[in-house]
Amino acid sequence: MQAQFPQKTLLSLVLSLLLLSAALAMPGCSSSYQMLLSQLQRLANDTEDPRSLAEPYMHHQSLNTTTLRKSCTEHPAAFPSEDALRALSKLDFLHTIDTMLGQVQHRVEALKQQFVRTQNFPQLENAEYKIRGIRNNVYCMSWLLRRSQKTLEPTQTSSRALLSPAPTSDTFQAKLDSCRFLWGYHSFMGSVGRVFSEWGDSLSRSRRHSPRRALHKRAHGFRHSRSSQRPMPRS
Amino acid sequence: MAFSVVLQKAFLLALLSLRAYQNEVFDEPIQLVPEVQNVSTSSKPQQVNLQWTVPNLAHHQELKMMLQIEISRIKTSNVIQVVNYTTTVKWNQVMHWNWKPDIPLECVKYFLRIRGMVDDDKFLLQSSWSNWSSWQEAHIPVSLEPNTVLVFPEDPLVEEGSNITICSVYGRNQHNVSCYLQEKPIPGEQLDSHVSIFNLNNVVFFRDTGTNFFCNSIDTKLEDGIVLFVSKVLEEPKNFSCETQDFKTLNCIWEPGVDTALAWKQQPPQNYTLFESFSGRRKLCNKSSCDWQITDDSQEIYNFTLIAKNYLRTRSVSVSFHLTHRVYLKAPHNVSLEIINTTKAHMTWKVHSRGNDYTLLCQIELLCEKEVIHEHNVSVHMSGDYLFNDLDPDTEYKASVRCADATHFWKWSNWAEKTFSTPEAAPSEALDVWRIVRSKNGSRIVTLFWKPLSKSRANGKILFYNIVAENQDKPAKSKHCSIPAPASDTQLTLDQSSYKLHITANNSVGMSPETILVLSRESGNQEVVEKRINGTKDGFLISWEPRSRDVISYIVDWCAHSQNQLCDLQWKNLGPNTTSTIISSDAFKPGVRYNFRIFEIPVQGPVYLVEKQTGYTQELAPLESPEVLTSNLTSHSFTLSWQGYASQFQAGFIQGYRVYLKSKEMHCHSGWDKVLLSDNSVCCNYDIKDPKQKIFTVENLRPESDYEFSVRSYTSVGENQNATFMMVTTPDEHSHMLLKTMLPMSLCVLLIMVVCYWKSQWVKETCYPDIPNPSKSSILSPIKYMQNPHLTIMNVKDCIPDVLEVINKAEGTKTLYTGAGKLHAENVTKLPPVPTEKDSCGPVPCIFFENFTYDQLAFDSDSHGHVPGPLKDILCQLGPLTPPKNLLNVLGNSNMKSLTGSPTEETSLIYVSQLASPTCGDKDSLTTNLPRPVHCSEYKMQMAVPPSLASPALSKNSDLSSMILLGKGEPG
Repeated sequence: MQAQFPQKTLLSLVLSLLLLSAALAMPGCSSSYQMLLSQLQRLANDTEDPRSLAEPYMHHQSLNTTTLRKSCTEHPAAFPSEDALRALSKLDFLHTIDTMLGQVQHRVEALKQQFVRTQNFPQLENAEYKIRGIRNNVYCMSWLLRRSQKTLEPTQTSSRALLSPAPTSDTFQAKLDSCRFLWGYHSFMGSVGRVFSEWGDSLSRSRRHSPRRALHKRAHGFRHSRSSQRPMPRS
Repeated sequence: MAFSVVLQKAFLLALLSLRAYQNEVFDEPIQLVPEVQNVSTSSKPQQVNLQWTVPNLAHHQELKMMLQIEISRIKTSNVIQVVNYTTTVKWNQVMHWNWKPDIPLECVKYFLRIRGMVDDDKFLLQSSWSNWSSWQEAHIPVSLEPNTVLVFPEDPLVEEGSNITICSVYGRNQHNVSCYLQEKPIPGEQLDSHVSIFNLNNVVFFRDTGTNFFCNSIDTKLEDGIVLFVSKVLEEPKNFSCETQDFKTLNCIWEPGVDTALAWKQQPPQNYTLFESFSGRRKLCNKSSCDWQITDDSQEIYNFTLIAKNYLRTRSVSVSFHLTHRVYLKAPHNVSLEIINTTKAHMTWKVHSRGNDYTLLCQIELLCEKEVIHEHNVSVHMSGDYLFNDLDPDTEYKASVRCADATHFWKWSNWAEKTFSTPEAAPSEALDVWRIVRSKNGSRIVTLFWKPLSKSRANGKILFYNIVAENQDKPAKSKHCSIPAPASDTQLTLDQSSYKLHITANNSVGMSPETILVLSRESGNQEVVEKRINGTKDGFLISWEPRSRDVISYIVDWCAHSQNQLCDLQWKNLGPNTTSTIISSDAFKPGVRYNFRIFEIPVQGPVYLVEKQTGYTQELAPLESPEVLTSNLTSHSFTLSWQGYASQFQAGFIQGYRVYLKSKEMHCHSGWDKVLLSDNSVCCNYDIKDPKQKIFTVENLRPESDYEFSVRSYTSVGENQNATFMMVTTPDEHSHMLLKTMLPMSLCVLLIMVVCYWKSQWVKETCYPDIPNPSKSSILSPIKYMQNPHLTIMNVKDCIPDVLEVINKAEGTKTLYTGAGKLHAENVTKLPPVPTEKDSCGPVPCIFFENFTYDQLAFDSDSHGHVPGPLKDILCQLGPLTPPKNLLNVLGNSNMKSLTGSPTEETSLIYVSQLASPTCGDKDSLTTNLPRPVHCSEYKMQMAVPPSLASPALSKNSDLSSMILLGKGEPG
């Protein structure tokens, strides 16, 4: 365990350096903290709405029946809880968003395979654009925070794959899993928006939490979704 | 050990060979018992695979066998199906047989066994069924937890309209399980305590993402489900055909029908394969077309089979044809046009042909303004040409050509088009010209009208019109003018000479044939009676009596008859033998009068006006009502007139007028009819049948009565409905006499009154001057009442003199001047003014001498300006007069007394002193600065003055006034 911590710190440092260098290398980030924050809030609020993705998905996959809707919405996929997000430092918070949205992006990409034609489900592409936009802004915001802090702070990275759904050949369960995932994503973005709204108007020094505590909180803050463990037939 | 096994096998083989040989030789019945090698199952798709062999076959022996497979469910005794099939078995070959269970293998167990019978012609003797193999179990076991609900089969793929059985398996703790197809509950059939099956018949396509079927336990809220993927039924391709344009490629097309693709990669879109049977070639195609390369030039006949396939079904359609019968040529190329002249063009083109041996049919079309005006077919080999004749100059055309195989027509190629224009030419037709001739101030105003040439006659853009007026009498006086297009009329002023007018239209190339109009000295506009004609909606039938036989033509011109002087003159040329024609025009409107004139164009002489006709295509009721004026109003009659009513411009021929009269008594006199109007009111009606009569006198009226009248014109269709009633009131019978006498009298009286008013003062003074009533004067002593009521005694002390007049008493008579006249300073002794408090001479009472003349004019007259001098002066002046002592006392006391009480309170009369306020000059100052009665009493005493002080030059009025006063005073 003692050996793990410096290793994680080192990894964070490397990642931060990479982010920073990328930020310095790539122009286009607004230097206005206010603008970035408002954009992030707006995007988070936009994506919080299930009508932007989860509801159309339910419609297309015929999950909008009473029972199946309930099954989907009452057991959303596990995303970091709002408390856990609030407990993070600003940089860690941004990093978590980036990580989670990276996974969402992959999942959304995979959802395309569930349709004959993606033209039938244009919300998927819209969601992808928005996720990209949020990630860009998150990236810019972290660049801004780091620049204001002068010194680089190590960020906490996830030590495990947060959302790695077990691939299932069962289409019915895959539908429900995807639905729950999207529902969880909307909920997560709602939490993100609310945490952003608590950020100050000025670019103050980010909150500092014990990395251990934050990590601990995050680990406990995950909501575990209902596992769709389907017994596999013995062959 | 190994050796013994090998030896055993070799023995068996030898035995089998021997038995086979014996069978062939001896035709003995044999029994070959199939031996099940393996039974395997698969979940997706649900399938049982039976592998079996016939162990007793001789080496390399093949024989045809009939197999029978028996299938039981749940238990071996429950046989649900027996399948027979025939196959050829070989030595040492494992045979396969697949079977699709109706209930998923996860839910129930199946048992299979097989037996066989030789069914081969090589065996003469009839064989019999072998023994059954042993029962083989087919089942997919699942791990079932007590709280689990599972649904099978997993993601089944079925075709729309088919049936499927779904089963659910649930653990021992699950008792209350409900299953749904989307939202619809599906009743199940209990197979055993933990298995239910659900039969879905005739399933329908819901969505390409599948239809959800799921079961949940009410107890534990757990659910499991499957997605039922229902594929649309694959359709047979329609309108499958192939053709070639270049003999190198065959292009095959078809209509694919519905897409059967399903989401979740359950089924891709159906694929299409093209198979040609002669060549044996196969090609995977697009959804609706395929290009087939012709590799073998010698192959002329093709037999194509188009195969459509998805996971569930295969469809195919075939077509067979000769290559040359499916030639769809490419559009002709190198199309060119050579303009030969204004009416001819030559077109050439080339075709994509296999050579001169092939004859092609080409279709040529010539279009003008998007309309096909010419169509022609020609046969060509490698190239073609065509000459277009009879083209119009200055016209744009589009020439098109397309070709097809002439021998085996399949379809036309696409059009190849070329647009071209013919050049301009001189106008080909003379202008149609007509004229109106009017005389004015000894000249002739000739208005020429012409109809623009049609496009086909103009042969180009008309630039101007040339008009040459050739004076026949004086050629030197000919006129020429050029009118730029697009004018269609012009006006010429010509003298009374004979003229020949030459009119031509000109374009860039040349001029049209000229039109000649002859204007003779005689106008030819003879006075002819206008005839009325009846038109119809189709026009007017105009007929006339020919005047002479030497006629070149007739011209009928017409114009709408309107108050607007501008006339859109129209005309029609007619042949010399014509005596009638129908004039029709889209411009004819109902309710509009059209005037027609028929002219004769003689061989010699002037144009002759044959007839005038006028009429309507459809008469309407008049739109305008007459504007009626009333006159000559008497107690018994009045006159109506509507002279300004333009009856010739109405919507029909006016046939007369109807006069409507309303009155209270509603008695209609002779000649009047009682009619009911549209508003249900009753009135009298008089019909004036002469349309020229525009005046009417309404008679037999009652004096002092109200009448309402209305005049309405009418045509053959009806009368004007817009007319309104006007009111007229007949006067009193004598009113006009009274009017004649009373009016001047009233004026005279009024004049007199004005004059009197103006001279009212004078009149008053002259006619009835105010006479004071002495009995009402306070001056009179009250003792008169005590002693003799009829006796009035004047108390002198109460008299306050205001003016002292010195009367020249040369003749011994007393003359007193009143304040009404003016006194001149040199004649009248000036007296001091009424003293004010300031100017008062202490306690000395004011003593004045006055006469008794007073009136209102005293206020207004300038006499007030003759302000007497100060009181003390008066007193000083009075001094030498020395009045009697007692009189002075009386005066003094009287004056003092008058200061204590206002005399005006005692009498209604206002006695105005002739002595005005010192400051009086106008009424205002009179009001505000009026001397207070404290100092001045209204009653003034008249005194006699020496004659030497009297004015010698008193005015006549003054004298008169004085005389009157004196006369009044005489009785005292």
